Amino acid sequence: MSISPSDASVQVAAAYYDGQSAANKAVLLSIDGSDLLLRGSAWETRWPLHEVHVSERLGNTPRLITFAGGGHCEVNDHAGLAGLLAQAGVGRNWLDGLQHSMAWALAAVVLIVFAFGGAYRYLLPWGAEAIAMRVPGAVLQKMGDSTLEMLDRSLLDPSKLDAARQQELSDAFARLKPPVDPQMQYHIVFRSSPKIGPNAFALPDGTIVMLDELVELTGDDNEIVAVLAHERGHVERRHAMRMVLQSSVVGLVLAWYVGDVSGLLATAPAIIMQAKYSRDMEREADVYAEQTMLGNGLSPCLLGTILDRMEAAYLAKVREKHPDADAAKDSGAMDYLSSHPSTRERMSLMCPGK
Amino acid sequence: MQGQLVRQNQHFEFTGKGWEYFRIWIVNVLLTILTLGIYSAWAKVRRLQYFYRNTRLADASFDYHGTPTAILKGRAIALGLVVLYNVTLEFNPILGLVIGLFLVLAMPWLLMRSLRFKLYNSSYRGLRFGFSGSTGGAYRAFLLYPLMAVFTLYLLAPLAHQRFKHYQFDNGRFGSSAFRFGAAAKGFYLLYLSALAAMAGTVLLLVAMAMVSGMGPGIQGLITGFAAAGPVIMFVMVASVLIVSSLFIAYIQNLVWGNTELGAHRFFSNVSARRLLWLRVTNFVGVVLTLGLFKPFADIRMLRLKLESMGLTVNGDMSEFIADQQQQATAAGEETAEMFDVDISF
Repeated sequence: MSISPSDASVQVAAAYYDGQSAANKAVLLSIDGSDLLLRGSAWETRWPLHEVHVSERLGNTPRLITFAGGGHCEVNDHAGLAGLLAQAGVGRNWLDGLQHSMAWALAAVVLIVFAFGGAYRYLLPWGAEAIAMRVPGAVLQKMGDSTLEMLDRSLLDPSKLDAARQQELSDAFARLKPPVDPQMQYHIVFRSSPKIGPNAFALPDGTIVMLDELVELTGDDNEIVAVLAHERGHVERRHAMRMVLQSSVVGLVLAWYVGDVSGLLATAPAIIMQAKYSRDMEREADVYAEQTMLGNGLSPCLLGTILDRMEAAYLAKVREKHPDADAAKDSGAMDYLSSHPSTRERMSLMCPGK
Repeated sequence: MQGQLVRQNQHFEFTGKGWEYFRIWIVNVLLTILTLGIYSAWAKVRRLQYFYRNTRLADASFDYHGTPTAILKGRAIALGLVVLYNVTLEFNPILGLVIGLFLVLAMPWLLMRSLRFKLYNSSYRGLRFGFSGSTGGAYRAFLLYPLMAVFTLYLLAPLAHQRFKHYQFDNGRFGSSAFRFGAAAKGFYLLYLSALAAMAGTVLLLVAMAMVSGMGPGIQGLITGFAAAGPVIMFVMVASVLIVSSLFIAYIQNLVWGNTELGAHRFFSNVSARRLLWLRVTNFVGVVLTLGLFKPFADIRMLRLKLESMGLTVNGDMSEFIADQQQQATAAGEETAEMFDVDISF
């Protein structure tokens, strides 16, 4: 064995276990050529470096040097081992650096906050849309049924329109050519609701609820048809489903990862009833309505006209109940006004010059 | 020193540090989020390696050998089963229930597999642990006894608990030596009854308090009493649950480990319920106030308390343990794919 005083060979103390018994032997590790040399009190052994595996740095835990044929060494002298590894030409990997640097830890906290923020702002709506468009018809059907049930129990009264008038409106809608082939089958149900006021809304399964109060608002059936086209847009783009998913992040995660949609079905009616579509969704439905109207030779401005009438009706309702504008807290009317963008804004693109 | 029959109390040592673990934990969380959960298998391996290698006994540390791919496989299977169950239940309730039943029936087998995986992938001084519990035993311990406990209005719950721990511990191996579990059901019954008595006593005390503050016996007094002293009563209730549960957890650990032997050696455990209670309360406050960032510190503190209260009374020499030759022969051929790790905590 050649001993050279100027040999800067590093020696590291370690505990050697042969893997056959729990006995440990104190050894000194050093690099000898292309081998790792283990020197015990009265014995020595060597392993080619490529048959040796060194565990990564993990906090201050002992480093484990495993040998291909069995057995391992526990090393607690971290500085010494670092020197030994440097001598053997082994570098550190990037993950190791990440996990041991305080600066990176703090950066990680910041990144996580940003990740959550970004996810809520962008990933959530995208994910909701992706899932909503793939939800099977049976789920949408269930959602529609349970929502209608809930509405009938709490807010809706039977319609006072006569059968002929109802049929007239249904036919007008049926005659309407959609811009693209519809995914759902649509049918209108008639109700009355003094509480809600003039409105029509579509349920996820293609049922459109038409309120008497809306029918009475105008004599021009084409205006009503415009509203129905707008509502159909909401259904075709599955806005209700998307809102339900978006408002329940937990529900979205469950639906994505686990396929559990039962929780969503429970909350759906309440969310749909609030009908708080985002501005982008209202825009999408408006575009769909515009395309429908143009495709049937009708003016998109008709939608503007009926929306103006609805806005006026709601404002009148609010003032009538609360002459003092500050105390205006009529839930139905105020909700509608606050959740829908102003008609002027919406119609500016569709019906210029109005 | 070698060869002499020495009786030594070797305490477990835990050298993990909060800030050190925090750095590892936060990077784990970040990467798990960025990979939508896939990195969690690697994170688990890192975490267990950190905990195991920081656990020392008689100047040597433990080690964890589980591979991330095996864990990922196990998690993927578990996730797949849950998705299948949920989706089927939604559209075909009967079929969904059948799948649910199948999952319940498969659970003991999965748990047994999980125990085998965890123990086989744990080592100390180069020797692996092992688990040789039978499938039948798993069904008795994880399904039969719990069901019996439920059907006897929990009268058999302490027995079921004892059978559970017996299956878990008595079938353990270290190298070629076997663990032996000697705690009888009597100890469990004593513990459960004491806890029950303590809780009942608290409730009676609170009822009396309520009646006194409601200034009158009977239901009327009770109601007005609760209305008046509501928050105080809630606080006392929460505090008593915390205290009794801390006592319970401490006693269980001491009872279970204090009656476990390995070869000629015997474990001992004296966790202090008082320190455990303090730790749980401060950990909870810390985690809430830091919106979860305190969790790694909380984990380290808890692990340190539990581990450093335990130890092994060594009768002889630690180096007497030898490898299990049979295990070594079959280890190479044993497909890790068979032993997958299902995340269920004990």
